Amino acid sequence: MSEVPVTPLIHVLPNGLTLLLEADPGAQTVAAGYFVNTGARDEVPSEMGASHFLEHLMFKGSERLSVSVLNERLDDLGGQSNAFTGEEATVYHAACLPDQTDELLDTLTELMRPALRESDLEAERGVILEEIAMYADQPGIRVIDELRADYWGTHPLGHLILGTTETVGALSRDALAANHRARYGAGRVTLALTGAFDSEAVLAWAGANLADWPAAAAPTAGPPPTPVHPAQVRVIADPDLSRVQVAAEAPGLGVTHPLREAAGVLADLIGGENGALYWALLDTGLADSADLAHLEYRDAGSFEGGFSCDPERAQEVLNTFRAVLRGADTLITDAAVRRAARKLAVSTLLRAETPQGRLFALGMDHMATGRAETTQELVDRYASITAADVREVLKLCPLERLTVVALGPLEKLE
Amino acid sequence: MPTLSQAFPASELWTLPGGLRLAFERRSGPGFAFDLRLPVGSAHDPVGQEGSSGVLEEWLFKGAAGRDARALQDAFDDLGVRRGGGVGPEATRMGVSGLLDDLGASLTLVADVLLRPNLPENELPVLTDLARQDLDSVQDSPTDLLALEARRVAFPRPAGSPLAGFAHPPSGTPKGLEALTADTLRAHLEAYGQAGAVLGLVGDLEPEVALGLVAGALGSLRPGRQPRAEASFQAGQRVHVPDEDAEQTHLSLTAPGISPTDPRWLAWQVALTALSGGSASRLFHAVREERGLAYAVSASPVLLGGQGFLTAYAGSTPARAPETLEVMLAELARLPQGLSADEFRRARSGLRASVVFGAESMRARAGALTRDVAVFGQVRPLAGLRASLDALTLEGVNDFLADYDPVSKMTVVTLGPSDV
Repeated sequence: MSEVPVTPLIHVLPNGLTLLLEADPGAQTVAAGYFVNTGARDEVPSEMGASHFLEHLMFKGSERLSVSVLNERLDDLGGQSNAFTGEEATVYHAACLPDQTDELLDTLTELMRPALRESDLEAERGVILEEIAMYADQPGIRVIDELRADYWGTHPLGHLILGTTETVGALSRDALAANHRARYGAGRVTLALTGAFDSEAVLAWAGANLADWPAAAAPTAGPPPTPVHPAQVRVIADPDLSRVQVAAEAPGLGVTHPLREAAGVLADLIGGENGALYWALLDTGLADSADLAHLEYRDAGSFEGGFSCDPERAQEVLNTFRAVLRGADTLITDAAVRRAARKLAVSTLLRAETPQGRLFALGMDHMATGRAETTQELVDRYASITAADVREVLKLCPLERLTVVALGPLEKLE
Repeated sequence: MPTLSQAFPASELWTLPGGLRLAFERRSGPGFAFDLRLPVGSAHDPVGQEGSSGVLEEWLFKGAAGRDARALQDAFDDLGVRRGGGVGPEATRMGVSGLLDDLGASLTLVADVLLRPNLPENELPVLTDLARQDLDSVQDSPTDLLALEARRVAFPRPAGSPLAGFAHPPSGTPKGLEALTADTLRAHLEAYGQAGAVLGLVGDLEPEVALGLVAGALGSLRPGRQPRAEASFQAGQRVHVPDEDAEQTHLSLTAPGISPTDPRWLAWQVALTALSGGSASRLFHAVREERGLAYAVSASPVLLGGQGFLTAYAGSTPARAPETLEVMLAELARLPQGLSADEFRRARSGLRASVVFGAESMRARAGALTRDVAVFGQVRPLAGLRASLDALTLEGVNDFLADYDPVSKMTVVTLGPSDV
């Protein structure tokens, strides 16, 4: 990375599409991504999985390019392209050597203009049904899906991003095209670039090539979601498993909350690699994994964690897990906060070392907060966190009432 | 500000008097990264003591140089560094990345772990029980279970070998774990030394300073040993592992490949890239894009015992798994007919780009330096590597492929509700 501070450039086209450019002439590659401000939480329940299905179909070619040609072009860039779908974001990204920047922009943009051909739908439906089956074989994922459904209730933050075999099986071309029209309007789209490129050239290219991106009605902002958050332990008995997976959730802070980073520090003190859960559960051998993380959405947040253990130890481990969370105030010392904050700051700095690493920090943060901060500003946010900040987070989010799901060979847990 | 340049920095390779090799590359930036590779892994567990390497690595971090486990972890965290590594079949790795000012302290902490571990005996029952829990969790993961069964079938321990070989995971076996004691593990630790060890380091400092820091921290590391486990591949095996509850049937294919020191190595890499290197690659296109048979399908090279092997994986729901296997085998079977000019061009440019991407972050570059020295005996200069790729021709790759027929020796292991 360059030694001079790089300030990201924001430019909004007349149709509402945002350009977010952070050029670093010292970089050896270029990374680009379309960050679309939509995801699973924007779906109606009967169309659960539509966002993710669309993400897959985008790779099936445009009116101009067949799927084979699109795939070949993506591989020509060096095979660094991919996409992901979340609750609130869908991201399409690629990277290349600087001399291929024109092809990168052209190909990635063509990918964003999908033909959504009926003939491509069935094979891709099969792929997604296989993806659903793949995750169904992973108990650690199953338990989280069940937990979020309990915690959020009918709110779409509890949606399964992949959908179910039923909803994915029923999604029609028309429904997917309607979702695309409504949710991929220019106002929801940001094209971000990082690395070795010429900002002026990209701005000129965008003016010529993205001005006709269709606009769509702005999303209506509803009230912040209220989790159902039942104080319950639900057991899903599965006698064929050999271990118990337990997951737990409690309220946290939204992505725009000023104490968002302090909430990350609190999660690290409790459930990081050197956190209290590690010492209470792994160092003692009671469980073979235990963690807690802070999840942030645009208007809500949560602390989510869990553990896996022998079935006969599940009650003891859950009791200890609860006790660690209840005693979180004792973990908040100046030294511990400084240590955790430094670790997060260094990790933020090192992730920004490559254009691809920087792309996600820049793009995701901008989409969530509207800010475009330099790496140094992000690092400083962590460096300035105090023990009082972390205590304030715990006051706002007491971690006493947990929604819990357990999956495995057991009948009862409380 | 650095100028925009595709010129690759030069690297240095030194051998310390005790045998540790240090590969260093100077790179501007605020950070550092190193990757220490000790050539002892789970394949070198003594027969009957499977799990030695895995448990020992955990034990080493239970305190060192007067710090207890927690103080040791706090010392790493005080530096804000990221730690990586772990135990593989043929090596134990310890990687650290952080800010350049903390390089010396990070090397000292790793040296403490290797040279001055506390090895508290009261921790052993917990550590062996955690390894047992890890083995239990493999039973809940069809893909992990398949990988394990595939190793058992394809790479059984050669009769008479004192080393446990490739047929068990780093967590060992239930019986092997029972046999571990403080004494057996201390004896196993004697192998962890400078013999065959490599440290790759990237950071913005004078080469002599880098050498001085590493020699100062690790120069007194014990001599160690470099055991060699032979990978005795069993060709043409066909095994199905029943798993009634699996949602998918999982497929594992293993075949001979090309060893890293063979002149055909790069041609093989090009062929593997055309087979599975991107969304236009043959397996992805035939299995996923064209037929929608699987979400995950891939092939990759694996190095075991100095030899190269091709492994491929796919997961499909049971009714579709036979077709998935058939399509994968058909794609592999047509490799001897060669690549098209377009496939060759794409695969080669993909590999050329990956040379740059793989060297971009300090952490990736440190890992690549270490791997180069361990596998090729030298750091492959990036410019030279690109030149070698440029020198490949379609004819050369297709001449190689004409004689490369992995299917004839393919071992296939499947796991799922019904046989494929």
